[in-house]
Amino acid sequence: MNSMQVRNELPLQKKSAIKRPGTSSSAAVLLRVLCVSVVIGAFSSPAFAMSGRDIFEKVHEVSVKGLDHEITMTMVLFDKGGGKRTRTLTSYSKNASPEAYKALAVFRTPPDLKNVGFLVHARTFSDRDLWAYFPEFKRVRRIANNSQDDSFFGSDLSYDDFTGPANLDDFKFALEREEVVDGKPCYVVEVTPRTRRKYTKYLAWVAKDLWIQLRIEYYQDKDIYRSGVFKDVRIIDNIPTPFKSEMENRKTSHRTELTIDSVKYHTQFSDDLFTQRSLERAGK
Amino acid sequence: MTRLRSGKRVIGGHFAALLLCVAFASASHAGDLFSSSGRLDLHGAHALRNDSVEEDPSLDARIKLDAAGAAWRFHAWLEGGWDGSVKRPAAGHAGFKNYDEVYQSNTPYLEFKELYVSFSTQALDLRAGIQRFAWGRIDEYPSNDLLNPWDYAKFPRQRLEDRKIGVPSLSASVTRGDWTMETVWIPVFVPYRLSRPDERWSGNSAATLRQIPDSEIRVREPDLPARTLENSAIGLRLKHLGDREWTVNLFHGYDPRPVFRSTALSIIPAGGAIEIDPGYVPDFHRITTIGVDAAFVTGSLSLRLEASYVFNRYLNVGHEFWGYPASPGPGTYPLNTIEQKHDAVDYGIGADYRLFEDGQLTMQAQQTVTRGNVDLLYERKIETILWANLKASFLNQKIETNVSAAWNPEHGDHMLKTDVWWVFSDAWKAGAAYAAFTGPVQSYFGRYSRNDQIEAELRYSW
Repeated sequence: MNSMQVRNELPLQKKSAIKRPGTSSSAAVLLRVLCVSVVIGAFSSPAFAMSGRDIFEKVHEVSVKGLDHEITMTMVLFDKGGGKRTRTLTSYSKNASPEAYKALAVFRTPPDLKNVGFLVHARTFSDRDLWAYFPEFKRVRRIANNSQDDSFFGSDLSYDDFTGPANLDDFKFALEREEVVDGKPCYVVEVTPRTRRKYTKYLAWVAKDLWIQLRIEYYQDKDIYRSGVFKDVRIIDNIPTPFKSEMENRKTSHRTELTIDSVKYHTQFSDDLFTQRSLERAGK
Repeated sequence: MTRLRSGKRVIGGHFAALLLCVAFASASHAGDLFSSSGRLDLHGAHALRNDSVEEDPSLDARIKLDAAGAAWRFHAWLEGGWDGSVKRPAAGHAGFKNYDEVYQSNTPYLEFKELYVSFSTQALDLRAGIQRFAWGRIDEYPSNDLLNPWDYAKFPRQRLEDRKIGVPSLSASVTRGDWTMETVWIPVFVPYRLSRPDERWSGNSAATLRQIPDSEIRVREPDLPARTLENSAIGLRLKHLGDREWTVNLFHGYDPRPVFRSTALSIIPAGGAIEIDPGYVPDFHRITTIGVDAAFVTGSLSLRLEASYVFNRYLNVGHEFWGYPASPGPGTYPLNTIEQKHDAVDYGIGADYRLFEDGQLTMQAQQTVTRGNVDLLYERKIETILWANLKASFLNQKIETNVSAAWNPEHGDHMLKTDVWWVFSDAWKAGAAYAAFTGPVQSYFGRYSRNDQIEAELRYSW
């Protein structure tokens, strides 16, 4: 039997014994992808010996290493009729061990969104406190953690894409096959959430040598409703970083292009950056 | 003369600040240190009732300038334009709004909503200048949010933050771990601003007098409290962050809510017209409030709570006790005392709930319990406002909608506001809105019952 056809469901007991942080389905889209550290050569087991869970633990492992960052990015939203809107934002993140992580995203443009901010304190990878700040109201607002799959400020990315890795135990993984994407060999892993989400599953194309996703497809039952590709992968401080990403909503034909304008890793920000006070000051 | 001199000082200060802003604006593309943004709004309203005061189109502009260094920051928010909701001659109009008058011209106007410098260290924030504050947790009517008086010229068509008048003030906050202590000192008394009786958003307080044909109602400016140290205002806030955030608030200063004292009604024929002095002027009283607020998330709900105890709040008695003659003719009529002092308790709860993707429902219930004998007041012993807001976006936020409804069960008055925006681009959006108010003439929403309207707005942002 061809290993590519094998649905590799290795026993989970050895992994579940360790409460490891995970990578949510859509978190793979941005933060996890952007934060992924390369561990080239660190993984020497034969590919066919890996399960979907193994692969995503690897993805997650390198993701966490890249959590300390400052990234400035531009999102361009294209609607079906050709209309275009642009948002620029800066994302700050910090590995907050023994807690999970802290993250702050602040919009720089357009004028309507300038200095709108979004703060995350993740006590664990599945337990997060969220706050939003809208300068026009001058108030920081606590947000319930139930909008994780909603569109992030009109884009085709979700809030979850901006809130860091989630818990692997919240998902089931199955290695589907292997494929080549943009000349890079990839594992194709089916990821199914254990709790009710907007999607019923997603397929992730994980690059074997980089442990980042190069392609993703979200399904609602049998239909793909959202899909994305990650391109222009550059190694920054040993961290593979896709400088260009594109996510499309197949149902509405709306798509979002995301370009990284600048990136700094190993930033080791002070906790002071991830406070309500900092949120009100747009991270300044 | 005193008022004129202080007004000129304010204008001079504003002019210097304006020059500073222009200088910053010209340098605003020099790098990350400076930034600027702004917007232009063209707005028109069509009154749906024949007995309503008409409104001209409005053109408003706002520009925000920021300059930030490592520890220092400069921020300016200048607003100006032509407000079509007011009708008054521009004679004696100084351009900049001042802190000396309750009834001010908005045709045209300039105003610094914010203009301050701040200095920050790891634990300390110091800020000096014209500031607006947002204390409390409840939307629309937070009972602990007393540091800024409101401009009622467009109330209730403005959002809470747009109603607030920036006040010259000093503020300091110290943060240590999850604790923040904030102090605000407002050395200069700033009065609230009101519409004149012949303006669109004046309410119905002079409705009887407006029925006199060929008459003009001329309100008088009040004598403001002396600008002394004793008349300054102070606010203290102790905030604790955590899973359940809570804050203790203290305010001591002049009540930002409008209240009137009586003089004498005079109806004087002058030439072919009749001049009416309605016999009341805005009044100002010091209050002390102590309050708490809290916020936390439970399940799918984000909850906000707020309560305050107000000492020595002055309220007006019902209009039927003011002493207006039933059939007023030319002459002078002394009016009754129309103010009463009461303590009051305000409390409320608000909840945000995600109804669907890009659709958030906010529900809020607030009550005010007025202590003492309230027999002469229009307000009942317990007054309630139930308020709900649904904010929803569609087509990846190409369409933005907002529906608000409020109901005061004690008097049966209510309000409905709804607007829809189409976002053309990052810079351009256009919207249409509808607002309706129903209820008894003295009630919170019913006083605007002549003001049902549809609106159109075009906005350019940069």
